[in-house]
Amino acid sequence: MSAQKKRNFKIEAFKHRVELDPNYAERTWRVLEHAIHEIYNHNASGLSFEELYRNAYNMVLHKYGEKLYSGLVNTMTGHLKEIARSIEAAQGGFFLEELNVKWGDHNKALQMIRDILMYMDRTFVPSNHKTPVHELGLNLWRDNIIHSSKIQTRLLDMLLDLIHRERTGEVINRGLMRNITKMLMDLGSSVYQEDFEKPFLGVSASFYSVESQQLIECCDCGEYLRKAERRLNEEIERVSHYLDVKSEVKITSVVEGEMIANHMQRLVHMENSGLVSMLVDDKYEDLSRMYNLFRRVPDGLSTIKDVMTSHLRETGKQLVSDPEKLKDPVDFVQHLLDEKDKYDKIISKAFNNDKTFQNALNSSFEYFINLNNRSPEFISLYVDDKLRKGLKGVSEEDVEVVLDKVMMLFRYLQEKDVFEKYYKQHLAKRLLSGKSVSDDTERSMIVKLKTECGYQFTSKLEGMFTDMKTSIDTMQGFYSSQYSEIGDGPTLAVQVLTTGSWPTQPSAPCNLPAEIVVICEKFRTYYLGTHTGRRLTWQTNMGTADIKATFGKGQKHELNVSTYQMCILMLFNSADQLTYREIEQATEIPPSDLKRCLQSLACVKGKNVLRKEPMSKDIAEDDAFYFNDKFMSKFFKVKIGTVAAQKESEPEKQETRQRVEEDRKPQIEAAIVRIMKSRRVLDHNTIVTEVTSQLQSRFLPNPVIIKKRIESLIEREFLERDKADRKLYRYLA
Amino acid sequence: MASRRGRIRFNVGGKIFETTATTLANAGRHSMLGALLDDSWNPRQPAEGEAAEAEYFIDRNPACFAVLLDLLRTGELHVPPNMPEKLLNREALFYGLLDQVRAARWGPFDGNRLQLVDSVSGRAPGDGTAIRAGPDGGCCVAHGSMVHVYDWMLEEHRPISLDYQQVNDVGYIDAESIVISARERLGKGDGGMGVFSSSTGELRHRFRVSHYDQVKSFTAGALSLGSSDYKIFASCKGRCNEYGIGVWDQITGQQVDFFYEPPGCCLGDADKLQWLDGDKCLMVATLFPRTDNCFIGLLDFRDKSVIWSWSDAGTSVSLSLDEKRVLHAIAIEDSRSICVVNQYDDLGFIDLRSNAGGVRWSSRSKLTNRKAPNEESCYPKLATHDGQLFSSMNDGISVFCGPEWVLTSTLRRSYGGSICDFSIGGDRLFALHSEENVFDVWETPPSPII
Repeated sequence: MSAQKKRNFKIEAFKHRVELDPNYAERTWRVLEHAIHEIYNHNASGLSFEELYRNAYNMVLHKYGEKLYSGLVNTMTGHLKEIARSIEAAQGGFFLEELNVKWGDHNKALQMIRDILMYMDRTFVPSNHKTPVHELGLNLWRDNIIHSSKIQTRLLDMLLDLIHRERTGEVINRGLMRNITKMLMDLGSSVYQEDFEKPFLGVSASFYSVESQQLIECCDCGEYLRKAERRLNEEIERVSHYLDVKSEVKITSVVEGEMIANHMQRLVHMENSGLVSMLVDDKYEDLSRMYNLFRRVPDGLSTIKDVMTSHLRETGKQLVSDPEKLKDPVDFVQHLLDEKDKYDKIISKAFNNDKTFQNALNSSFEYFINLNNRSPEFISLYVDDKLRKGLKGVSEEDVEVVLDKVMMLFRYLQEKDVFEKYYKQHLAKRLLSGKSVSDDTERSMIVKLKTECGYQFTSKLEGMFTDMKTSIDTMQGFYSSQYSEIGDGPTLAVQVLTTGSWPTQPSAPCNLPAEIVVICEKFRTYYLGTHTGRRLTWQTNMGTADIKATFGKGQKHELNVSTYQMCILMLFNSADQLTYREIEQATEIPPSDLKRCLQSLACVKGKNVLRKEPMSKDIAEDDAFYFNDKFMSKFFKVKIGTVAAQKESEPEKQETRQRVEEDRKPQIEAAIVRIMKSRRVLDHNTIVTEVTSQLQSRFLPNPVIIKKRIESLIEREFLERDKADRKLYRYLA
Repeated sequence: MASRRGRIRFNVGGKIFETTATTLANAGRHSMLGALLDDSWNPRQPAEGEAAEAEYFIDRNPACFAVLLDLLRTGELHVPPNMPEKLLNREALFYGLLDQVRAARWGPFDGNRLQLVDSVSGRAPGDGTAIRAGPDGGCCVAHGSMVHVYDWMLEEHRPISLDYQQVNDVGYIDAESIVISARERLGKGDGGMGVFSSSTGELRHRFRVSHYDQVKSFTAGALSLGSSDYKIFASCKGRCNEYGIGVWDQITGQQVDFFYEPPGCCLGDADKLQWLDGDKCLMVATLFPRTDNCFIGLLDFRDKSVIWSWSDAGTSVSLSLDEKRVLHAIAIEDSRSICVVNQYDDLGFIDLRSNAGGVRWSSRSKLTNRKAPNEESCYPKLATHDGQLFSSMNDGISVFCGPEWVLTSTLRRSYGGSICDFSIGGDRLFALHSEENVFDVWETPPSPII
């Protein structure tokens, strides 16, 4: 206000437009330009920020923003050109050092220049669509330094050379590398990619192409994979140390492609060290490495899986068709289990429990187990062996483990009904002879079968257990009611078996000794008295007896024999010598069984309670038998076994097979009728597939047999062929 | 003496100020004060004790510096009555503290606590067409063929126009960009739609409409700037019956869609477009007096269908003057309804959930004297903000709140004539008066300290 008042008093001689000093802009710019020079020359300590800021502010305020901006561009470009010259002059290894130092200087200067020109940055730059000062500084650096012809290629060669040297084992200055790549990234992702990353990937690809070619010629598979893994980790580490994070995917894919994908087949099939020998030798570490590396490339895992599958099928096929192995069923199954364990371990240890590998393993086992049609029998025999004696003194958990493993093999079986058949036979033998180790274990196995195949599958097996239990009760009842009448006679233990639940063969009853007949009759009247409407048939071919015998020198023994053998021995109570024909006549034992019994009584050393004339291995029809009063044994109890094949003989096998086929017929028919009842009309192929899928849990029905069953059903007028289309069947309600 | 450390002494225009480094840190590194204290400009670290003696000289107005320093200390802005705003803003720009000043100037928007802070007189020759609030507190006013642009300091920038054609609607894409929709000029390809820089007023981009791969000129009407998916919707009229809603991308500026007007729906002449974020559809309202039969519809662009519509075509058989006509409409997504207003300033609601519902009028005549609409009055307008409903009525704006929309406040000024348009944005309400071409700025004062 006071200034204005004063002016009012002044008499102005001349009136001219009030104008700024024409040199004002130029002068102010000189000050700022000088400051920029000083900043680049590390001489900024003498500068006053306030003054410079005010000057820049005034230039923008007085519309000299354009002059300020273009002045900045020119001055900065000049400095950068000078810097470029000094970097170009740097010798050899100092080139990068110099570049790094200058880059640091430039950044610092840029920051200070931006501070001075902050007002221009805020007001003039956005309204005039200029590049902000910081970005401008980076762009000028890019254009004048990085893209200068003398620096660009030299920089790239230098960087690639350093990386190459590090790959060949030299130690390089990683801090410097990091600063330089950081600079490239700061200049924009396109600069980093175009000026460094692309050539870097190209050089890496050719480096690894050469190296992998050399390695594969001189290394075995395991060693090659170890080296490839190390290279991969090196590259990942390199990225983390001094490259852009986004480069990791790109460089690893280069290494994967060159070192793994390109040599995949050769590695897997490498002789003596490839996948197959790793599997054979349980090289978990190598396998795990192969898995982890191959997982990174397309088709890698499927390559491993295919080779493993074909190897498994090949070895499995040899295993199940090796006649040596077939001799011992327990050994056979044990081999299968060992093989399964081996591969389970490989998959869990080396293959990360990969589901696809587990599936491949399962399908391979399913494939070769069913190649041998005796597998169901052998598996049942294996269980039989374990349940008879194999599991003595083994803890409950271990028993479960063994049974679970068997169930796993059972799952692979296609003919589950055959297994059932054998299992029933073996179970019956175990139960009747009291050979089973533990009732709990038996039941546990039944429960497993039940959960696997359903109630229907095990109902008969469970019936057998019920029979055993009720028989004990029945016998207790019998003895408590008849106690007074029995006196000193032989003790009878009867097991009442339900027809149908047990695998009994109808056999002609033999003539029992009179003492036995008496007590048998007593039991018959007792049993039929308590249960009306039942019929009892004696299965003399399945019983056992304990008899006491006194031999020549007065030594007493207890003989454990079969019912047939008992009948024979009882005859010698009244005679010292009997011919074969006499025995046959007196006992009416079927000839084949009789021969086997006599063989075991007379021909087995140490157990020969009878003596045969003439002495020979085989029983002839005109042989004569004597009571062997010279019989000696160090045991009081003597078990006289029957000469019997544990494994089924060829004709028996045929018979079992035939029975299985017979049993399948009604099942197939039932399935056909069930399907037709719901679908009414169906063509042949659909029926076959549906029946197959319905029965799959029990067995794999043969299409020819299905066709036969359909024909039989047509004959019996359950179905008819469609009049128009002969391929169609129609359900007749 | 530990307390002396961190103290900083300024000499601003001859006056000494002392403050702490922590207070100045509120200015940020990218401000003049931040740079001044940065290590790169203070290479020698002063020894202990000597620090207090160092003093920074700044050749600026000390009174303003006091106000700004107080802002940095407390976050509040207290301008002495004798200090012009312009002066303070200029100083704030020098120090790079303009953003802090703006943030401290007014509080978050609340319709019931608004204060009139300024009235700006315009220089338009005729009636105002529209006023729009910008996201940063600025606004633009459309008069005839011109749009006047004001920043948040209410400084006027260069006015903008699209080939000097009649402006139908304007809108902000962001604080820096304004879209204008204008009438086409026959045969010249002028008019249509364009984006302008709000600070310099230059044309940045002109939107095109192509029908069957042929670029056609068009008249653009109402605008809607869908905020969530960066699209611009505009009602378009081409000369060969190419009526409908055009859709453009805000970033590329390219046409991405066109919804041709189906029979029975009025789209190309719409008065109001509103993008509904929750339902992903566009409300289109074509109303009296532009048409005799009002139409409101919701458009789904994904399958090009009208998913909801309402019209008074059937109801108004006798076209008497007293008939209640819908004059403006706004969708309120939260209450699933469309609010409308008639010539008696009654509010009405149409339920969006049923397709054949009528208008449920809630008569306001009991609250205010029903004045016969005279020649001078303007048609009422509606707006919503944060659960509050605003309705202009002659020279005042009523504020309604709550689920039943209870009248809670009235904004009125004694002069200026009736309000022809108003807009809410950037935590401000701008009301444009028809008679004296004045617009008012209403804002919520910052929250009280206690």
